[in-house]
Amino acid sequence: MDEKVTREIFPRDSRKSYGLVELMKKSAPIIRKEPEDTVNVWPNLLMIEFICAILVTVGLMVLIQFEHAPLRSLADPSTTPNPMRAPWYFLGLQELLVYFDPWYAGVVLPGMIILGLMLFPYLDTNPKGVGYYTYTERKFAVFNYAFGFSLWWVTIVIGTYLRGLDWQWYWPWSNHLEHMNPALVTLIPLHIIFMNWFHVSEGVGKLITDILFVGYFAVWTIIPMIVWKPMYKAMGLWRYLTFMFFFLSMMGVALKIVFRLLFNIKYVLVTPWINF
Amino acid sequence: MLQKLKSGIVESQIFKSIFRHGYPDNDLDRAYAVFTNVFLHIHPVKVRRSALRMRYTFCLGGITLFLFIILTLTGIWLMFYYTPYTGLAYRNIKDLQFVIFGGNLMRDLHRFAAHGMVLFVWLHMTRVFLTGAYKAPREFNWVVGVVLLVNTLILSWTGYLLPWDQLAYWAVTVGAKMASYTPFIGQNGPWGPQLGFLPTNDIMFMLLGGTVVGQNALIRFYVLHCVVLPLVVTVFLAVHFWRIRKDGFSGPL
Amino acid sequence: MTNPTAGVGHPEETTLSPSEKGRRKFLVAAGWSLVGASMAGSAYATYKFLFPPVLYEPPTVFKIGHVSTYGLGVDERWKLKGRFWVVRNMRGIYNMISICRHLGCTPNWFPDQKRFRCPCHGSIYDVHGNVRGGPAPRTLWRGQITRDPLDGELIVNTVIRLDPDPVQTAQGLWVKEKVKEISPYYITHGSPPGGSCAPNRLLC
Repeated sequence: MDEKVTREIFPRDSRKSYGLVELMKKSAPIIRKEPEDTVNVWPNLLMIEFICAILVTVGLMVLIQFEHAPLRSLADPSTTPNPMRAPWYFLGLQELLVYFDPWYAGVVLPGMIILGLMLFPYLDTNPKGVGYYTYTERKFAVFNYAFGFSLWWVTIVIGTYLRGLDWQWYWPWSNHLEHMNPALVTLIPLHIIFMNWFHVSEGVGKLITDILFVGYFAVWTIIPMIVWKPMYKAMGLWRYLTFMFFFLSMMGVALKIVFRLLFNIKYVLVTPWINF
Repeated sequence: MLQKLKSGIVESQIFKSIFRHGYPDNDLDRAYAVFTNVFLHIHPVKVRRSALRMRYTFCLGGITLFLFIILTLTGIWLMFYYTPYTGLAYRNIKDLQFVIFGGNLMRDLHRFAAHGMVLFVWLHMTRVFLTGAYKAPREFNWVVGVVLLVNTLILSWTGYLLPWDQLAYWAVTVGAKMASYTPFIGQNGPWGPQLGFLPTNDIMFMLLGGTVVGQNALIRFYVLHCVVLPLVVTVFLAVHFWRIRKDGFSGPL
Repeated sequence: MTNPTAGVGHPEETTLSPSEKGRRKFLVAAGWSLVGASMAGSAYATYKFLFPPVLYEPPTVFKIGHVSTYGLGVDERWKLKGRFWVVRNMRGIYNMISICRHLGCTPNWFPDQKRFRCPCHGSIYDVHGNVRGGPAPRTLWRGQITRDPLDGELIVNTVIRLDPDPVQTAQGLWVKEKVKEISPYYITHGSPPGGSCAPNRLLC
């Protein structure tokens, strides 16, 4: 029976110690669905789970015939192994720490990733695509997830294969056993580049970076508001702003990595308290 | 003779007090088997035939749970020989590796099941995302899932310190130092020193129980890894499963 | 249809006098405040509990011998035992803590490159401890260095550290050497006999 009708005939009342949970056409454990074409969990589903467990066990047993749990030499504070590689699932984090200051890459950014993942169901207003695989009905959501995690996997691949001694960039064909000379070009904060280009003072150089930084967030928040009005209307102001903050931060992280790798930029924004 | 022995056992008061149904070879006993058993009760008694399709869930959540169970069991075995003392920990691991029967097997299983758990948590999350299974009314269960993901990663990280080898020491030194960069409450974080946080009173000191990774840090990570975090994971797992049963399955169930 | 939810609430609540209602309200508020206060109290106690007031950590004060036993440049003999380098230049002697200012790994000294380089995230420092590359946000610490008044040997204390604010430049993060060559982090002493700072100009 329709839930609304049920509620009208049997209203919820705190004075009553009883109530009607649900009216069903037939006796079945599945609510609001027909009972036909059902099978018993024992043995049908349990068998599948049991086979899965066996396959996992066999897989693990086979794996440990070829590879053993590593154990390095005894802990020694005076010497760090070179290069010091984190386990694979933290390599993305280790690589991000090369591009950002630790307060951001090590604390705030992971916190934002966790928070952003948690908030995703509350920010995604698209009601379509529940219970089946679809890309066409929710392109933007899938794009976001795929972009975020490809960033994660790309940094893992960089950390595993393209970093060598002294955590320097080594191509697969370079000699990984030889210490390379550090790059001749040192990392430069963006405002110093502007100072040299436009021959302006440090204050003006920093002002340009401030404007660029704030402008990036402001412009890209306002443009979709105008261009994709239906999306903005569907989300509402606060949900939209929250989403854009996370989205633009994610894109910003990717942009900063590209800037660092291509132009050796240390910080895009320098303030007396924090640097990006 | 055997038949008599069997019926003697099955019809005894002790057996009947434990199992309140016959062998599940008919529909009634199969239903009883599931809903009178606390462990099997995370399933419904019946599911739709289409729910047996592997190509929807790929069993990823179940595999993750199974890996967690393997980790719990092998972890308990490892605890029999492990001492959380900086002077002994490394030697205990060496003993497990080279001397104790089955020690290496337990250690290998523990390490690779841990890698596997991280991988399968991520795969499971990707599956849930791609099928839109986090949408209303299941938003909160997704949040619980993210908590479980974070806990899995912290479990891995705390476990890394226990062998007290070079990987252990430096992974935890770097990780703890990251905590010291926490804004407002870390000695190196923005506005941390201004608020009076020093190497002896900030969040990193609280985490390590000292200013460097040493005995206090080892025992803290041991307790977190072996007691606190597994308990937290178990509690959240219970909520996670409970929510699936309450909200129903998003897919072809 | 009449509203079936009219007059919702516990039956006895509708017959209560205003003063009785107020009293109940107060008791509920007081009860919850006590619950909140005891929660806050235990949270504070847990916080205090996690800070050990006594530490058993490795020593931080080292007696490192006379200035004359150190040649020009970076000396690594105390790195294993004390986690610091001793550096002698043409004007005197100082030490630098061998803890990377990024995330605490131990950098390595490369005499051919004249650089300290960290194996964890690739920070690069020169012989002054200035940052020449990589993600390090500050320059290397210098530890306290004093002369023992009795026998003239040097004493290094690695927990008393000099950490001036660096300046962003096109060459990296920089602190002027003058700012760092101060007591008690620097000991003025003549150049070693026959020493030449030509191979590493920063030692001049």
